[in-house]
Amino acid sequence: MIYGGGVDVGSTQTKAIILSEDRKIIARCLINTGANVSMAAERAFREAVTSAGIAPESVAYVVGTGYGRYKVNFGNAQITEISCHARGANLLFPKTRTVIDMGGQDAKGIRVGEDGDVKDFVMNDKCAAGTGRFLSNAAETVGLSLDQIGPISLGAKKPVRLSTVCAVFVESDIMSYLAEGKTVPDILGGVHNAIAARTVALVRRVGIDPEVTFTGGVSLNIGMVKALEEKLGQPVNVCDDSHYIGAIGAAIFAVERALGGATADSGKAEPVHVKVPASPLPIIGAQ
Amino acid sequence: MAFRRIVRRVHLSGAVKKGEIVATTPVLETSKLNGIFEACREIGQDPEFAVAKRWLEEHPGKKAIGCFPVHCPVELIHASGMLPLGIIGAGTQIEVTYADSRFQSFVCSIVKTTLELGLTNRLKFLEGMLFHSICDPARNLSSVFQRNFPDMFVEYIHFPQNFASPLARLYLETEYRRILTGLQQRSGYVPTADDLNRSIGLYNRIRAGLREIYRIRADTPHVISAAESFVLTRAGTLMAPEAFVEILEEVLAELPGRPSRPKDRIRVVLEGSFCELPPVGLIETLEQAGCYILDDDFLRGWRWFTEDVPIQDNPLHELAESYSERAYYSGTKHDSRETKAAHLIRMFKEKKADAVVMQAAKFCEPALFDYALYRKALDEAKIPHLLLEFEEKTWIFDRARSEAETFVESLLFD
Amino acid sequence: MAQATAKSDYQGRIHNLQKDMIGRYYANLTAAAEGKGKKAIYMLISGNPVELIEAFDMLPVYPEVNALQLAVKKQSLPLILAAEEMGYSTDNCAYVKADVGMYFAGRKTPFATIPQPDLLLCNYVGCNVYLQWFEHLAEYSKAPIYNLDVPFFRTPGPEPLEEDVTYVVKQLEELIEVLERMSGKKLDYKKLQRIMELSGETGELWSNIKRLTRERPAPFDAYFDSVMMMAPLYCLRGTEDGLRFFQEAYKEMKQRADNHEGPLPEEKFRVVMEGPPPWPFLRQFRDMFSRWGAVAIASTYSTVGGIWEFGFRHDPQRPLESIARHMLQWNVTNRNFIQRYKQLKDYVDEWGADALVIHSVKSCRLFSAGQGDMREYFTKQLKVPTLLIESDLEDPRYFSEAQLRNRVDAFFESLEHQRHLVHK
Repeated sequence: MIYGGGVDVGSTQTKAIILSEDRKIIARCLINTGANVSMAAERAFREAVTSAGIAPESVAYVVGTGYGRYKVNFGNAQITEISCHARGANLLFPKTRTVIDMGGQDAKGIRVGEDGDVKDFVMNDKCAAGTGRFLSNAAETVGLSLDQIGPISLGAKKPVRLSTVCAVFVESDIMSYLAEGKTVPDILGGVHNAIAARTVALVRRVGIDPEVTFTGGVSLNIGMVKALEEKLGQPVNVCDDSHYIGAIGAAIFAVERALGGATADSGKAEPVHVKVPASPLPIIGAQ
Repeated sequence: MAFRRIVRRVHLSGAVKKGEIVATTPVLETSKLNGIFEACREIGQDPEFAVAKRWLEEHPGKKAIGCFPVHCPVELIHASGMLPLGIIGAGTQIEVTYADSRFQSFVCSIVKTTLELGLTNRLKFLEGMLFHSICDPARNLSSVFQRNFPDMFVEYIHFPQNFASPLARLYLETEYRRILTGLQQRSGYVPTADDLNRSIGLYNRIRAGLREIYRIRADTPHVISAAESFVLTRAGTLMAPEAFVEILEEVLAELPGRPSRPKDRIRVVLEGSFCELPPVGLIETLEQAGCYILDDDFLRGWRWFTEDVPIQDNPLHELAESYSERAYYSGTKHDSRETKAAHLIRMFKEKKADAVVMQAAKFCEPALFDYALYRKALDEAKIPHLLLEFEEKTWIFDRARSEAETFVESLLFD
Repeated sequence: MAQATAKSDYQGRIHNLQKDMIGRYYANLTAAAEGKGKKAIYMLISGNPVELIEAFDMLPVYPEVNALQLAVKKQSLPLILAAEEMGYSTDNCAYVKADVGMYFAGRKTPFATIPQPDLLLCNYVGCNVYLQWFEHLAEYSKAPIYNLDVPFFRTPGPEPLEEDVTYVVKQLEELIEVLERMSGKKLDYKKLQRIMELSGETGELWSNIKRLTRERPAPFDAYFDSVMMMAPLYCLRGTEDGLRFFQEAYKEMKQRADNHEGPLPEEKFRVVMEGPPPWPFLRQFRDMFSRWGAVAIASTYSTVGGIWEFGFRHDPQRPLESIARHMLQWNVTNRNFIQRYKQLKDYVDEWGADALVIHSVKSCRLFSAGQGDMREYFTKQLKVPTLLIESDLEDPRYFSEAQLRNRVDAFFESLEHQRHLVHK
């Protein structure tokens, strides 16, 4: 049995996936990236391999993705998270034709072909509007945690209109509304609506075809899912593995290359048996 | 009276709430004015152009032409038998979902909301749009309109930028002739010089009325607020001039009798809002924070001339000549015959103001460029000034209020 | 049969030749600044009457070229910040800010001392910021200003309106009177004709050089190498030096084309580039494309001073009229989007490109405002794969290498994948 490894190094979290050659997810790991990016990549990978209960050498190929992909020192190739998200979404929801990804710091729209290839994409990585950062600032302002705001926003009766999509200025807008006596559900409803509107406007640049798959950490927020579905006028696919989709896609590429005997970008020839480096860091429970 | 007819119609089309219609007895004179201003405000915030559409229904076969800022030779449109309308963004009324994919985040809101109006089919009732040389985004917008709405008559007026030369005025005359030819092809009516002069005469009346409003504001700012004069002017760009001139003259008749008391406020002149329209709430916030706005450049393009355009044998010549010689200052005119800030300092002195407020739309390149020169000149002339940036789509004005109040306090407590 | 050549900027004799010639041009500027030189006429790059300036033996000074040189030498930021302190906004064009900052810092740059203007000749060709820029310089320097008003090419064409041509020609006649007053001499018409011949021949050579990138592989990068080759076209057009430069440049590029030499070891992707480059980060930006084997075979920024590859030539028989047409029609900034889309489409079709890359810059709204519509047109209607990326041409604060690289990589990954599918 050949295995492929995908490591998605994001700015806040690093995720690792081990995939078998028949495209089954054998193991997952999610940790905070922290300051040392390459160590985070190594650790996530090691923990995934451990929880998979397989020998590290049987991972034939590793693909690094995410902003920190070039820091995955033990990786055989680096592929952008756009390509990986498309592949990953295609595995979990084969009818995916549009991916909306909302992470901590950026938002993406990807138009996807039948076999998970990228037809077109658009990114918002210049400001935090339409990202998790906007939501966490809003949550803090109303004194709630990130996982509380989604369900509470569903109780909005008259969602407020936000005059800004700046993640910093949203705080003062929220405080003004609180002073006016608006309810927290209404305010949170407004926050979610504003982000949904912004995101949909972004993704429209590549066109929105069903089915739409919603990925990234923010997709676990039920309020965001509902707000998006309302703005789009159609349902969106979500699943518990939503924030692993980049790593899953990377692992799919890894398996394909291992099976195809492909050469790695870094100039290595055949599928390489990856040597897992011994780490001086204590292992904190993998997910 | 014409206005009550308009108001009733607007009411029927749903753009005005029930129960806001005027009374007629002298005791309630002030609420009549308030009623007019409220109705004007509603008209200005209607993204469906109900009043204009109603006029078109009542005049079957007639068409409408949209005018993008700053200045449009509306007489050419009117004389050709069409209705000129100010298509100046969509304020706070619509969400931008499609236009964002065409224009980037660092482009001003009015370009995007105007395009959004087009992309959401709200401008289908227009026969065409006129644009002109104000800035690069606006110029590119005209091309985007041309490509995306091929059935529309989209024209771009090149206003000359070379006023030191007598060639400029002659050129503008030929340019007006070219635009007129295009317009008359769409309307099916070829205007005579008399038609043009009639239109000039009508718009002269409107502009004279607006000049009078501004004079009243400058002399007795407690009688009519800047916000009220703004919504009035804006409503005028969204209806037939024949109807508007009556409303205007009614307002002018009512104003002298309006009870009001001067408040303790600083006197300012305002510049920078010549294109994208500030939210009415922002103007009110500025006034409530303690400013009397004695003069401004809101919709200055529609009030372009400082005196009547002469009625003579060659109306196109008179319009072209008046564009350069009988016009208020506008940064977009690039008249190099005097320095940028000269007019601002003149305005400040004539109106006996205390300060200057630069109220520029976010990302407004020409206004922000002008500000650099204004700031230097105002500092040298020791004139206090404040820069406020705004965008159309704003509902909360707390920040602006703080800034304005701080400014007012700094002047009052001096 | 690609032969290995260096991956970086074009090498060879023309590089040194340009250094030499432009060095002399800048020495002339410094001499003028020290009061020992010719009269300094400030002008803008896009379609200008430099031939008239040369005919009066005056010195053309280009604030745009000075600004971009400052950016390339990574000196633009402190000047931009100084201008912002003076009241310029973060949303104002950074070319202007760098220039204003430089003006108030004594006009000394690493390459020259820029002279005060004797005349600010604002050739208003499309870009509204030009008018603002020179207005500001006029107030700061108190120098006389002449707004050469070139009507925007707002009609479908193919030619501009006759009244527009007449208007511009008449203004050129006015300008000649101004220059005659300044110089105390009458225009030497024969000299002007000779200069027009030089411009005409130079334009012909530039056009031929640009057409060489129709070859496979393209002998040079029509974006990164072209923008480096442009300076003599503006600073030296109408001079013997300028002609000689382009004669040499053509020889060198033709030789490369004949040897099937390209700038990269392997030409994998041919792209058309739209928009100005990020001057402070040319090398990093170029590397992002080189690593994918992507070569530009045409670019619009290299036509910002004139479009010669579709047949236009300066005509010594009709000097004022052809200068007028150059300004009205044969440069990219005075054209509307519809015409600009056509120009890009012609490049894709006639030069043979796989994709369009739009580099959107915050400073320049003439190029950038509305490029989303361009992208929409090319991807949805023409089905040309298009990448839109953003940074700035002068201000180094807007260049985010990681983000740009991410987008470029994702784009070429998918192009590579499409190609792989087609070949299966």
